[in-house]
Amino acid sequence: MIQPQTHLNVADNSGARELMCIRIIGASNRRYAHIGDVIVAVIKEAVPNTPLERSEVIRAVIVRTCKELRRDNGMIIRYDDNAAVVIDHEGNPKGTRVFGAIARELRQLNFTKIVSLAPEVL
Amino acid sequence: MTGVTKESETLAGKRPSMTSVVNPTVRSKVKSADVSVWVLNQMLAALRNRSLNLLKSLSSWKQQELCLRLSSLSTVSGTDDGLLNLQDVEKILTDVRADDVKVIPVGEKCDWTDYMVIATGRSTWHVKNIAQAIIYKAKQRQREVGAKQMMLPSVQGQDTGKWVIIDSGKVIVHALDENARAYYNLEDLWTSEPSKSATVQDLQKAFVKVRRKNNSKKPVEKSA
Repeated sequence: MIQPQTHLNVADNSGARELMCIRIIGASNRRYAHIGDVIVAVIKEAVPNTPLERSEVIRAVIVRTCKELRRDNGMIIRYDDNAAVVIDHEGNPKGTRVFGAIARELRQLNFTKIVSLAPEVL
Repeated sequence: MTGVTKESETLAGKRPSMTSVVNPTVRSKVKSADVSVWVLNQMLAALRNRSLNLLKSLSSWKQQELCLRLSSLSTVSGTDDGLLNLQDVEKILTDVRADDVKVIPVGEKCDWTDYMVIATGRSTWHVKNIAQAIIYKAKQRQREVGAKQMMLPSVQGQDTGKWVIIDSGKVIVHALDENARAYYNLEDLWTSEPSKSATVQDLQKAFVKVRRKNNSKKPVEKSA
């Protein structure tokens, strides 16, 4: 359940460390974003000497949420943190590696690029 | 003390069949001991049940995994479902003159696909054309099989042509331009050793309870 003003960790090596969601893309009046949704976010904290800087506005895909994700087979996935991967407007990830476990729903939502960079797919 | 007596009174009140010969406090003690034994028993039973369930679920998972493996094997070797296979993809990539084609079997590293094919295009147009050729072939194969419903691979990133992914289930084709290929370095990611360092022994170690050492310089506060 990501909404504007939610802070998220960054699950890649793009150089950002912490994001804040400022808008959910895809619908005009949606309240919450879940795994696989694209958000507009602002970088709250960045690693020094990287292309991304603090207070830059970027797009990101949510890859982990504390709110549980239910599958049709009854499986429930819930992570410890809210995390996102920084992408550009074409959907290419800014970083070259994704950290941590990622849900396989991302592949169905056409984020195979992120899935193919991830070390573990749940 | 008042609380205790009150409790015992309420207990006595709840059980009117008990005779009031016994001192109410004593009775409450007996009762609490009984309750604690009962709770212990319940906990033990629950633990036993849980461990049994765990074992059962573990074995069922293994069975499921086996079934899955078997089914995937059968689909690979058996009936033709009209999806792209590795030979097709390799042939198309040589036909459209993609550079530096690399096929990486990733069956044991990740469970969501079997083969990754990485190819470089000389320009964005070339990358897009590689993708188009593969989609065309996929359509052709579906027609050959005579499928009622076309099962086409999902294609991502085709409008820019820096990194196009054609995801047809068992085989995933990455068509990149040279810069993107050097940047993402996919073959390094998928050919290096998997970092599966967490073995069973590590897990067992992790579950052992260790008393923390007190390294602080502060004098220990004595609780009065």
